[in-house]
Amino acid sequence: MKAVWATVWLGLATPVFAAAPAPGDDGVAWLNKMASAARLLNYSGTFVYHHAGRNETSRIVHFVNTAGGEFERLEAMDGPLREVIRTNDQVTCYLPGTRTVIIEKRSARRFPALLPERLAGVSDSYAVRVTGKDRVAGFDCQVVTLVPKDKLRYGHQFCAEIANGLLLRARTLSEKNEPLESFVFTELKIGGAFSREQVRSKYAPKSRDWKVDTSSLVLSDVATDTGWSLKSQPAGFRKLTELKRSIAGRAAMVSQIVYSDGLAAVSVFIEPLPRAQFPQSLSHQGAINIYVRRVSDHMVTVLGETPAATVMQIANSLEFRGAPGR
Amino acid sequence: MERISELMDGELEARDAQRQLARLKQDQELALCWSTFHLIGDALRGEGPLSREISNRVAMQLAKEPTILAPRSYAPKRVATYAVSVAASLSAIALVAWIAFFNNPLAPQPSEIATAQPAPAVTPEHLASVPSEGEANDLLRAHTEYSPSTAIQGLAPYIRSVSGTQQAKGQ
Repeated sequence: MKAVWATVWLGLATPVFAAAPAPGDDGVAWLNKMASAARLLNYSGTFVYHHAGRNETSRIVHFVNTAGGEFERLEAMDGPLREVIRTNDQVTCYLPGTRTVIIEKRSARRFPALLPERLAGVSDSYAVRVTGKDRVAGFDCQVVTLVPKDKLRYGHQFCAEIANGLLLRARTLSEKNEPLESFVFTELKIGGAFSREQVRSKYAPKSRDWKVDTSSLVLSDVATDTGWSLKSQPAGFRKLTELKRSIAGRAAMVSQIVYSDGLAAVSVFIEPLPRAQFPQSLSHQGAINIYVRRVSDHMVTVLGETPAATVMQIANSLEFRGAPGR
Repeated sequence: MERISELMDGELEARDAQRQLARLKQDQELALCWSTFHLIGDALRGEGPLSREISNRVAMQLAKEPTILAPRSYAPKRVATYAVSVAASLSAIALVAWIAFFNNPLAPQPSEIATAQPAPAVTPEHLASVPSEGEANDLLRAHTEYSPSTAIQGLAPYIRSVSGTQQAKGQ
C-alpha cells in the first residue's frame, strides 16, 4: 500500500499536460483533447447558441484554481436574465425573472463521460475524421467531423483550437446534413489568472428570499436497479448509468437511465403519473428531442440529442421487469 | 484534513489557501490526503497525469478498504478523523460506485451492445413534433450532466435548459 501511495505522489508531481500526446490525425484523440481542455484551461469569452433560426448570446468564464477546483459562470446576454454557475460538482441556475434558484448537485464531476473507453466507443457509431483547418474567433482551429453510420444519431462537426484543443465551434447536423444547432465562440480569451470574483454569481446576494429548488443527490441516487429496462437497445447505445434521484420541483423520486453511443446521450425518466391528464407528445429544441408517453402507471419522458425516431424507439422499448428487492 | 478538502473545492479565501498550501509542503500525511483527493478526481475522470494502470491499482486498493472513505453516514463519531467535507465525501461515494460499476459482472459489456431492434409502435411520422416550451427543462438539466457531449463543451449546453426563446412554462 505504501509503495502505491509513493507512486501516486510522484505521479502527481508531473505537469498535467505532459500526459497528452499531440492527436495529429486521430479524431478520437482530438475528442479527448477537447474534453481535457474544457476542464483544465482558464478562458473567458462570448458564444452564440444558434437554433431554429434564432441566436442567443452568452458570456462564459471558466477557471481552475491552484488546487484543481473548477469554476464556471455562464450569463445570457439577451432575452430574460439567466445565469448558470458551476462550482466543481454543483450547478446553480439563477432565474431572476421568476425569482427562482435551481441547484443541481452532480454525483461526480462529469461522471462518467470522460472515461476514455467511453469516448473510444464513438468510432463504432461514427466515422471520425480530422478534415481540415478553419478559424473561429481569431483562433486557428482543427475541424473534426463525426459522420453517423446510421440514422439513429446526428452528425457533428467540431472545431478545436490547434494548440490546446479548446472547442471553439460545435455544430450538430441533421440526416440531411443541415445544421440543427450550433455553439460558436465569437470572442475568446484563453489563459489568464484565476479570479473568484469573475465566477461568482451576481445574483447570489439578492436571491436569499427567492424560491429554491434543490435536487441534491443522496447515497441511494448512485447506480441503483430501477426495475426498468429496454426490450432492445438501439444499435451502438449502451447504458451509462441508472439511478433513482430527486429532480428540482418534483416531490417524488424519479428513475433515470442514461444510454449513450459515446457522444450523444438519451435519458429515460420514469415518474408517477401526474394528477393532470397528459397526451403523448413529441417536442424539440435544437438537437434535443423530447418524447413523453404513459407506460403502465407511470409518466415516461425520453430526451436526448438524437433524432426523434431514436428517443421514440427507446420509449417504446421500455418495460418494467418488476420491483427490485421486493 | 477538512481544510485540505475545502482547499481543493476552492472554498478557502486566498490567504487561508496559501497557509494550507504551506502546511501541505511540510506535513507528509496531509500531502497524502491531498494526493488521494486528486487521485479520486482523476480516477473518476479517467484521465490526468497518472497512467490508467496506477489509477486501477489504487482503485483496487481502495475497493479493499472502503471503510476509510465511505462510512461517514453510518458511524460519524468513530470515523471523525476521516470526516471530510460533503463535496469530498460525495466524490468518494461516487468512486466506490464507479468501482462497483466496472467490477460488476452485470454491467453492460461492449459485446452486449444491441445490434437489432423491432419497429417502434409510434414513429415520428405519426406524431408531429412541436417546439419545446421548456416544460421538460428540469429533466433536460438532469440529462445534460450525464451526456458525454457536455464533457467537451463545458457549461455551454446548459443554455438549452434555460433558453430565453422558450415560454419557460417549466420554470
